[in-house]
Formats: sequence, C-alpha cells, structure tokens
Amino acid sequence: MPEDTTLSESSHAPASPDGNGPGTGAGRTSGTSTATVSGKTSRTTGKGATGDGRAAGPRKRRVPETIGLLVFLAAEIVFFSVQSPYFFNWDNWGNILTAVSITGVLAAAGTLLLVAGQFDLSVGSGVAFVGIVLVETAPDLGLGPALLLSVLAGVGIGLLNGFLVTVVGVNALITTLGMLGIFRGLTLVIGKGQSIFIEGFDWATARPFLGIPMPAVVLVVVVVLFYVLMHYTVFGRKMYAIGANPVAARLVGIRVNRTIFAGFLLSGACMALAGLLVTSQLGSSSANTGVGLELAVVTAVILGGTSLSGGTGTIFGTVVGLLIVGVLSNGLTLLNVDSSWQQVATGVLLILAVAVDRLRQTYLRKAG
Amino acid sequence: MTKQPFLSVRGIRKSFGDVEVLHGVDLDAAPGSVLALLGENGAGKSTLVRVIAGDLHPDAGEIALDGTPHDIRDVATARRLGIRLIYQEISDAPPLTVAENIVLGAWPTRRGFVRNGETRATARRVLGELGVDLPLDSPVGSLRLGERQTVEIARALAGQGRCLIFDEPTAALSDAETERLFEVINGLRGRGVSILYITHRLDEVFRLADEVCVLRDGHIVLHDKVSAVGKDQVVEAMVGRTVERRRRGRDLTAPDGGLPAAGPAAQGPPSDGGSPASGELPAGGDSAAGGGPVLVELAGARSGDAFADVDLAVRAGEIVTLYGKVGSGASEVAEAIFGMHPVDGGTLTVEGRRARFRHPADAIAAGIGCLPGDRQREAMFRSRSVAENLAAPTWRSIARAGTFLTRRSEAVAYGRWHDTLRIRSRNDPEQQIWTLSGGNQQKVVLGRWLERGSRILVLVEPTRGVDVGARQEIYRAIRSLAGRGSAIVVATSDYEDVVELADRAIVMVRGRTVAEFTGDAITVEALTQAAGGVINA
Repeated sequence: MPEDTTLSESSHAPASPDGNGPGTGAGRTSGTSTATVSGKTSRTTGKGATGDGRAAGPRKRRVPETIGLLVFLAAEIVFFSVQSPYFFNWDNWGNILTAVSITGVLAAAGTLLLVAGQFDLSVGSGVAFVGIVLVETAPDLGLGPALLLSVLAGVGIGLLNGFLVTVVGVNALITTLGMLGIFRGLTLVIGKGQSIFIEGFDWATARPFLGIPMPAVVLVVVVVLFYVLMHYTVFGRKMYAIGANPVAARLVGIRVNRTIFAGFLLSGACMALAGLLVTSQLGSSSANTGVGLELAVVTAVILGGTSLSGGTGTIFGTVVGLLIVGVLSNGLTLLNVDSSWQQVATGVLLILAVAVDRLRQTYLRKAG
Repeated sequence: MTKQPFLSVRGIRKSFGDVEVLHGVDLDAAPGSVLALLGENGAGKSTLVRVIAGDLHPDAGEIALDGTPHDIRDVATARRLGIRLIYQEISDAPPLTVAENIVLGAWPTRRGFVRNGETRATARRVLGELGVDLPLDSPVGSLRLGERQTVEIARALAGQGRCLIFDEPTAALSDAETERLFEVINGLRGRGVSILYITHRLDEVFRLADEVCVLRDGHIVLHDKVSAVGKDQVVEAMVGRTVERRRRGRDLTAPDGGLPAAGPAAQGPPSDGGSPASGELPAGGDSAAGGGPVLVELAGARSGDAFADVDLAVRAGEIVTLYGKVGSGASEVAEAIFGMHPVDGGTLTVEGRRARFRHPADAIAAGIGCLPGDRQREAMFRSRSVAENLAAPTWRSIARAGTFLTRRSEAVAYGRWHDTLRIRSRNDPEQQIWTLSGGNQQKVVLGRWLERGSRILVLVEPTRGVDVGARQEIYRAIRSLAGRGSAIVVATSDYEDVVELADRAIVMVRGRTVAEFTGDAITVEALTQAAGGVINA
C-alpha cells in the first residue's frame, strides 16, 4: 500500500549538529532512520529541518547510528585504562594500530565490496600468497622485480575473483571461498611449508615520526583513501547504488559488472599491500601467514555496521569495529588473558554487537 | 439463480492499512457454472479471491460453503474445503519435476512416506484430463510459460476441487493453449465444479461464462446472467461514471511553465551534439504533437516472445501511450526502447540514428530516460537519500573531473527539482527515499531524467501505487515535459493514464498492436473494448 501519510513522518530530521567528529561518516543508513551517509548533513540539512517546524522529532534518532559501537569502544577503553597502567599511553596505541593494520587494510576494501553486496573471503590466502611470492623470488631476482611480481600476484587474485564473479557469474561467496583454498594450497606448494626469511625488507618496522609505527601510518593512509573513494567519488556512489538495488543501478546506467570488477581489483591491491606489510613486519613469510584473516576482516566490517545485504555502511564504522576488536584483544593481553579466550571473546562480541543492532532496529521501526 | 450456490460470500470487507479495498461484497457461485469476475485494476478482484482462498483474512463478512459458514483461516483450510486458486503469477517450484509440482502440497503418502509411483499416476491422469502431453520428469523450470501455467492448473485439478478460481489464466497462454483451457473449464463445469474466472477480456466472458459480476472500487456494481447483458453494459459498469470527468482532464494540457531548463547535465545526448527541436516548439503541448521531429521510432520491431510487428513513432512534444493488460507486451515495448530487452527484429531509430542498445547505459547516453514499472524493485535505492536517488544518472556530469562528488553537488541537483516537481518532503536532500510516499518517490525518479536532460522518456505504469492527488501532479509533470519538447512513451494498463495523457493511444493485446486512437477518439470505452479483444474502432 502506498504510504500516503508518510509526509507527516518527516519529523526525524537528521539534523545532527555535529558534522564533525563521531558524526562524520557515522551514518549507518540501515533503512531505519537518519539519512546521513557520510555524515555531511551540515548546511542544507539544518535549513530543511528548521524550515519544517516539525524537526523537533525524537532526540534518539538524531544520534549517529554507530553510537552504540562508539559507546562500547569508550567503555572498553575506560575499563582497560582502569585495569592496566600500561593500556592508555602513546606506545600502546601504536601497538593496537599495528596489530589491526593488516586486518584494517583488508577491511577497507572489504567494506567497499560489502557495500556493493559482495564478499572477498580470499584475502587471508591472498596475503600469504603475496608474501611467499616475494620471499621466494627476492633472492634470485632482486627486491625490485620481486616486489613487482608479488604486487601482480595480489592484483591477479583480485582480477581472477572479479572475472569469476562478473564474467562467469559465480557467486562471490563461492568464488572467493574457492580461491581461499586454492591460494592457501599454492602457498604451501611454493613455500614447501617452510618459513622463509627475507633480507633488507624491514620498512614496516620503522617509526617515521612521533614514534608512530609504519603499519599504523599505512593503515591511516589506506583508510583515508578509501574514505574519499567511498564518499566522494562517483565510483563509491555506484558501489552503494549496486548494493542498494542492483536492478535499479543497471537502469540508471551503471555498468554493474564493471564496477564490481573494479572493486575486486582494489581488494586484490589491498591484499598485495597487506602481504608486503606482514612480510616486512615478520621479516619472513610462511604458509601460515594470514590464516583466518578473512574472518577478522568480516568481523570488523560487520561490527562496523555494514549491512550484509549491501547498500549501507561506512569506512568510519569499519574503523570503529576494527578498534573494538583491537582494543579488546590488546587489553586482554595486557591483563594476561589467554589468547584462546581472546578468540572466544571476539566471537561473542561479534554476535552480541550484531544482535543488539538488530534489536535496536526492530525497536526503532516499531517506534517509527 | 436456480441452483443452491456452493460458495456464498456475504459482506466481505478488507482493508490494507487505512484503505478499505472491499466494502462489503456479496457473491454466490453455483455448482456447475462459470462466474466471470471483471473490474479495472485496483477494483478489488484479486483481493476478493485471495480472501476466498484463505490467502487473506477478511476484516468482516462470512463465507459459507453448501450453506455452512466456514472460517477459512489459511490456504490449507481452503484447500481442504475444496477451494483452489490458480494465481496469475506462476507460483511453482522450478527445480521440481512436472509430476512433483502437480502433487505439490498434497503428496500421496502411505505411513508418512511419499509414494512416487502414485505421484506420477496422478500427474498423468490430470494431464490426460487436460489433454496435454508434458514430460512428467522434466523440471518445471525448463518449460515454457504457457506450459507452466498448465501445470499450475493441473495442480489445482489434482485434488478434489469443488471451487476453482482462475486469476487471468490466459494472460500468458497462446491461442491454442487458451482453447484447451476453455475445454477443460467446460469439462469441469459438467462435473459440477464452481468456477470463478477473473479476466480483463470481454470476449472470454461471453464465450465461457454463465454469469458475470463486475467489481468497481470494492463494490459489486453488476451481477447478472451473461445472456441478459450486453458488452456495452459490462464496459459501462467497469468504467463507471467517472469517464466524463476524466476526459475533461485532457483540456488542461497546456504546460504551466513550471519546469525550468534542465540542470548542467542537460547538454543533450553526448552522442549527438545538437538538440534539434528545443527552440522551435510551440508552447502548447497538444499542438506540438503534429509538428516536432520524430525522436524515437520502432519499425516492425520484435523482441523474443514479448512483442512483434510493432511500429511506433514518437515526435518531440508528443505523448504516445501503449495501453495493454499484463502480458500484452506494452511495457516490454517501452523497456526495449530503453535497452532493457533486445530488439531482435525490425529497427529502433533514435533521433534519426539506428540504435542497438546492449545496456540501458547506451540508451541513457542516447538521451533516453526511463521510469520503470516496478518502482521498488527497479527504480529505488531504498537505503539511500533522495538526492542520491535523483542524481544517480548524472553523477559523472556533476562530479569534478568526472570523478569527485560531494553531497552538496547532489543536493544542488535535488534542489533544482524539489519545488518544480512539488516533491513533498522536508526539502532535505539527505532524507532517505523510502520515507516518502509512493507518489513522491515517483517524482524523485522522474526528476532523475529531468536533471539528466533526457529528451525521450519511457514511462512504464507511471501512476502505479500512487494516490489520487499525486497522480494529478505526475500527469501535470509529464504534460509539461511534453510541452518542453520531450518525446514521451507511456506504457500502462491503467486507462486513466491514457485518457489523461495520450496524444495518441495504441492498444496492445498479446504482443501485437490492435488499435490506435487519437484525440477525441481516446475514450475509456474504446480502450477497454479494444484491449478486451473487441475491435470496433
């Protein structure tokens, strides 16, 4: 039935006066309420809302949609700061960012893909494959050509994923799951199960300024790039449109397959970068590199509020999701909690966060 | 009515939300007779039969079978009581075989185990009764549409149905298949089954039915023996008194100058530098129809099974409607112009150039815009803002260097059309589109092509799911677009769209054009008769 009366519903103006800080990019437009996508509601929104006179709306709807996660993150930080004297200091934050950097680089591309309703589960193996190509070829070819080869390997995996999903038409989940197995296997074959060391490739252990570790710098750069890509480019808009409604996307002239293909290529590029990063951090690579990374990536992206069905989600949310996991794991380590239990905690956290979010959405829908 | 009715419906009321669709309907269906149920779209036919079949629960009223009232809570109850509804849309299980589909939901079992031999025997028997030969072990998904429809009917026949309801069964059938269906229905009638038969086609009513019943706006306005009524009477009952009033709407066609020049994106199709007719059009929308250059033309066009031999030429400033019921091919013709279906035969010419669109993007580049028929599924990015929804086809042109896009540039694009199209919202570009009413959503989608500056517009069911007020505003917007020199093709199954909009009305039945009317000859009666297979224009 047509919602003829919807006009009067226009009370919940997302007139978030923030336009900065947490509000920016916090728009989890999960089909529930406020419309801020990149959070840039500022100028025009304010005007429209005040002009309406009905803008007073329920306050709870004005808060950014990731507010629950931000509160959770803050609670984590407070808790661990109280519990451990080593938690809240500059160096430890460097540690946290370093710890999540690999996952973060991959999660940036993962967010872009999931926003378009696509998955890339091959990232864990891809990272290992890139690493093994680098360490195997570097002694013979020299570092430069080896770097080129390994980057090509990463992009090549993305290309293959994109080809299978968009040209052949295999579901992304199946494609990348298959590729996960294939490249884990190939990595084992090439590396013969050994841990192989590499000389003169330790750039990622540097601290370029203010004692900030290189991986953290890389993470920030990647996040900023993807933020711009997703929220300020035509390509980003297309990805959102495809995720929101692929049929409609086609009918506004978006070449859906090409766009998704490009998304997988970018994911491949991020695989390459993450592979170089992890190899440099460890000074070696082996067949066990990056095992389970795909799950960590999915955890961060989903935790950050990207809808599994596509169309909504932000890089900012993913960063928050990433930090929630990173802070939890770092804090638990500082409190000497066994790493096995950390895994349990992360799993519980994921389900809890998404369950709470579902309940909140149901509640809001009823209230609206 | 001589016989005691098998099915007796009294005072059925049903509302969706605040809208009451059935206002107390009474209906009797005698055993061994065919009752044709007619009415325009939205008259409440489908709702009524879904209530009878247990698919919807009525708000008030009573359904009695053989004089005993029953509470038909769900489809399973209705089936147990012998009521079967054959839906218009195919609702089979494509991967299962023909035989399995025929016994779907009523598997022959012994001690809880399905007896596959009996499944096949039942299927063979029923198909034999229908006089059709279908491969029992083929997956239904591999059959043609008409064959699948036959399987649906066979499923309804497999049980001991005492009341069968057909919802426009012939829409997807070929002539031969239709003939066979009629034989089957005659056979069922002989066996004492009550048949409710929904149709839009008057010729079927007079060939098949014993009684005719017309619904209009949720009321029964005519219920009589077929032998006692004439075609004109039935058409009049369907259309009602609103005809004259609606006809007058045409006179308001003059564009009200509400639409300003298009946005920066409106530099015309990139493939074609000039915009030949923009300056030379007379102000009056109607008078423009004769003079403008032909912007889009189909000649002998065919697309798969959807339509064939379609000739259509639309001039700048002209509104041509393709009127036809579901399955008539009208919407497919419109969609083919937009590159959604391939034109397999004949030619499509756009602004004097032969066009072969492989993707809607090609059509958009050639200056065509489209309002798809299924707004939710084909047009809306529900979770995105109105501004984003409106700017989508124009992103590249409003972006800096074709790449970098800000919320503000989208908001500016939205602002250009918000007032012009009278979109009722907060005037907040960030508002999510799903919070708007159907009519306002439609205006946003229309705004897409205004912003894009498309000179050819293809509108499929432009007023579907739109309330009365917004309907008029959409008509107004479409007329003023024509007044500004756009060529507009409207594919619709709603005669009101035709009467309100058309400079020329083409009627389609089963993929062919059957009649064409211009000017004052465009009347509801003419349209309904032509679409009902009675061509006397």
